[in-house]
Amino acid sequence: MADSRHLSLIHAEIDGELDGQQRGELARSVLADPELRVLREDFQRLCAALEKLEDVEPPPELRESILGALPQSTAGPAWSWWSRPRLRYAAVIVALLTGAVVYEVVRGPEPPTTEVAGTMAPADTRTTLDTVRLDNGVVSGRVSLYRDRRGLGLRFEVSAGTPVDVLIASDGHTLRINGVGSQDKPAQGKPGVLAVALPGFRMGGQTVDLTFLMAGRQVGSATLRTVADR
Amino acid sequence: MKEDDDATLVRRCREGDRAAFEQLVVRYQKPVFNAALRLLHDPEDARDVAQTTFLKAFEHLGDYDPSFKFYSWIYRIAVNESLNALGARKPHEGFDGDEADEAPGPDRQLEGEQMGRAIEEALMHIKPELRTVIVLRHFMHLSYQDMGQVLLLPEKTVKSRLYSARQLLRDHLLQLGTI
Repeated sequence: MADSRHLSLIHAEIDGELDGQQRGELARSVLADPELRVLREDFQRLCAALEKLEDVEPPPELRESILGALPQSTAGPAWSWWSRPRLRYAAVIVALLTGAVVYEVVRGPEPPTTEVAGTMAPADTRTTLDTVRLDNGVVSGRVSLYRDRRGLGLRFEVSAGTPVDVLIASDGHTLRINGVGSQDKPAQGKPGVLAVALPGFRMGGQTVDLTFLMAGRQVGSATLRTVADR
Repeated sequence: MKEDDDATLVRRCREGDRAAFEQLVVRYQKPVFNAALRLLHDPEDARDVAQTTFLKAFEHLGDYDPSFKFYSWIYRIAVNESLNALGARKPHEGFDGDEADEAPGPDRQLEGEQMGRAIEEALMHIKPELRTVIVLRHFMHLSYQDMGQVLLLPEKTVKSRLYSARQLLRDHLLQLGTI
């Protein structure tokens, strides 16, 4: 009967794990013990037969069935969207734009210079670059393109029977503002004011194009120029 | 080299590249299917397990630790899914020598296909955890270390199971007179 030491050597030999010394020990033991030799041959035959079993080709449709069963989201697994650099950067930009819009809406219009006392610097460093008047029956009022220390921005002073969405486009940048005109102040009889910063929009003589949409349909447009001294 | 390739594909998958995952499927569908087939001895069940394995890999790719080999990870999923499928079947009692249909003389030697069938049958007569180490070692050609990673077991335990599994297979095949 083989002891556990010799059994381990036999298995280790089959797995190619013996060093020279162990190989010599096993060879001597096998020569001295016919039962151990038979056992070793049995395991060698067994493992040789196992190795001879050939792999089976998977069903031809397996790959398609796997791929067809994957979640169909173009973003891949739920965790993956954030790991995609482009989406991550886009998310950051959207967050920044949203933050800028919310900040401007909450802050409201700049106070008149005369209301700011005790400061040496000009209270309002905004420079209006261009203004267009709107009166197309759907949207009325005016939109100004301004520049301040943070960059370009738009100031909406518009009234609309139904709030409109505005697509802002310039030099490859786009921004959509929803619900313009919804900040009307009927009691005061004048339009509400919405200031929107345009981070990433650059000066350079290009135009800023506005498209007013109502229920997805274009109801007006306007173009402002970034050059102040036309 | 292969691990590097896998790592690149996994990284691309994590960035949402479905084509990279398709390459992993192409690369590993055969070993995963065969592992399941050897463990389950049923092509339909093996197909289902292979599909589930890749779907789980896709869903949990974010949990994969790239410091480990990808194939160790996906084989682990395949083994676990196969064992789950086995668990859903009627539990097997393990090898019992009386179950042999016939006990031919010791000099009867089966060759080729017959030997293959005898081994497959013998595999189904040993416990799943022992069958698993045979599959990983002799069909997937994993080292002791890789087997330990797949099974989350120390190498010593892996060896012990492997030796026991071979012993039981030998005993069964001796009863059948096939070795």
